[in-house]
Amino acid sequence: MLRKEQNDYLTQTGPGTPLGNLFRCYWMPALLAEELPEPDCPPVRLKLLSERLLAFRDSEGKLGLIDEFCAHRGVSLWFGRNEECGIRCPYHGWKFDVSGQCVEVPSEPVESGYAKKIKLKSYPLIEKGGVLWTYMGPPEKQPPEPEFEFCTVPLNQTFMTKRLQESNWLQAMEGGIDSSHVSWLHRGDLSNDPLFKGAAGNKYNMKDLSPVFEVVENDGGLLIGARRNAEDDQYYWRITPWVMPCYTGVPPRGDHPIHGHFWVPIDDESCWAWSYDYHPTRPLTEAEVSAMRDGKGIHVKYVPGTYIPAANKNNDYLMNRAAQKAGKTFSGIEGIGMQDASLQESMGPICDRTKENLVGTDNGIIMARHRLMRAARALAEKGTIPPGVDPEHHKVRQAALLLKHDVQFKEGAKEALKAKKGVRQTSV
Amino acid sequence: MLSESARMTTAREASYRIQYPNSRERAVKVIALDPVAATVLEPISKGAWHGAAFFTSLNFAATATPGQGLDAWLKDVTGHAMNLISEVAASDFVVVITSVGEDARAVSVIADACKLHNKTLVGLIVPREGATDADVTASLADLRPYARMLVVASGADYIEAMLTALRA
Repeated sequence: MLRKEQNDYLTQTGPGTPLGNLFRCYWMPALLAEELPEPDCPPVRLKLLSERLLAFRDSEGKLGLIDEFCAHRGVSLWFGRNEECGIRCPYHGWKFDVSGQCVEVPSEPVESGYAKKIKLKSYPLIEKGGVLWTYMGPPEKQPPEPEFEFCTVPLNQTFMTKRLQESNWLQAMEGGIDSSHVSWLHRGDLSNDPLFKGAAGNKYNMKDLSPVFEVVENDGGLLIGARRNAEDDQYYWRITPWVMPCYTGVPPRGDHPIHGHFWVPIDDESCWAWSYDYHPTRPLTEAEVSAMRDGKGIHVKYVPGTYIPAANKNNDYLMNRAAQKAGKTFSGIEGIGMQDASLQESMGPICDRTKENLVGTDNGIIMARHRLMRAARALAEKGTIPPGVDPEHHKVRQAALLLKHDVQFKEGAKEALKAKKGVRQTSV
Repeated sequence: MLSESARMTTAREASYRIQYPNSRERAVKVIALDPVAATVLEPISKGAWHGAAFFTSLNFAATATPGQGLDAWLKDVTGHAMNLISEVAASDFVVVITSVGEDARAVSVIADACKLHNKTLVGLIVPREGATDADVTASLADLRPYARMLVVASGADYIEAMLTALRA
């Protein structure tokens, strides 16, 4: 349970809000590289942290992320012409470069220097691992580039999608660290989904529906260990890392690619659910990539030409009561991503946490909220750089392994939890 | 025409969520397992809690041994002795607090009481000055066999945050 003011604190990420300021300390996924594929391609409008922005790649391939609206009369520059190293407003021809600097005001003499006095707000936009990342904080505090393993392996070893989720970011992210729902909501997919099935560890999930949890703070966030009974004197551990503020990893299954998410606020009532899959030591197979494109695993099928899931609230998520009744899916919704999203969107645009009733096993969620509030307060009061900004904090891996009963998971899985170049994931 | 889900997931529809309470007060027993944890717990106990009761020490009969003895008493923050079995029986769940590296083996006695009445035991390990990683490992080893959820917190402020979140 959160008091209303706490819920507001954690769910509002617009400019000037405490959580908004916290988010503005980090590099965040803004677009897929495929959205700006070549110089002078069509610009893309986007909203992040409640700010309307325009992204474009200029004639030299430079990336820009600027205020969406022309400084002259407020026209959306999405209608602009991306030409000759700038985006030109179609209304009166004002032109802006990737830094937001106005470089041409056709109605004014060049000698007047009028254009030099006009500059749109801009943010850095960099390409890494097939993703365009932005940093929306103070320029003097810009951190080093992100080092999450999925964006540092060769491109043929990694695959990223994003989908629109019409809910506040926090209820989406909390699903990513809530390990106890997997045995229920996603139970059908462990044996059917091509990106999950066949792993030896799956049997432990299916046999033991009451995992026991341990939550341990980590430099960048949390490690949440869920343990289930295994053979002899061993436990089957599934360890979920959370890196502040919005990166979560799903513990792996067998030799399937590793996956997880970023949950990036669009505004307070919607977010982008980014879904990555990668393998640390080998290229993804054609079958794996094909399955991911087909919406298997944590990915979804799209409404063609968009990043909106094909199963969405406008079609009741293609609810299939017969499949639910037959036990083919537990909730009647197909696919892990939409099983989660359908329930999280059903909470309403911003979940009212004053009415929830958490239990002891929800401590991962409680601790994550606590750390977010603590970090936002420390940032506001002392300017403390929050956990998860340091790229060293990104070099964490999810793991699934068997450990003896008397071994502490953080110790026993110490090496497994480190991202190491050329070293395979630890998985059962 | 909008689908039912599209209509029902708007902010406007969320405002129609009924305002009646959906739960009753919880009886939560919060027990310090060692003197350092008791010192931490004492000021927290003075907060405005709903159904939480705080205990700063546990005593059990000399004849009893951890894991077997259930003849045990808890002392609350005002110094009153309460019977462990009765307290646990009247609870919804039990939270035990220990400081890193302190002897937390008494948890087994509480765990026996929880087992007897089928109550969930949550363990929380809070920091102590000068404690090492080995101390954390030792604390985890003490609590792991009994706790359904174990948390290693980096600050004692988490106790309050967790109890509030659990509506204690």
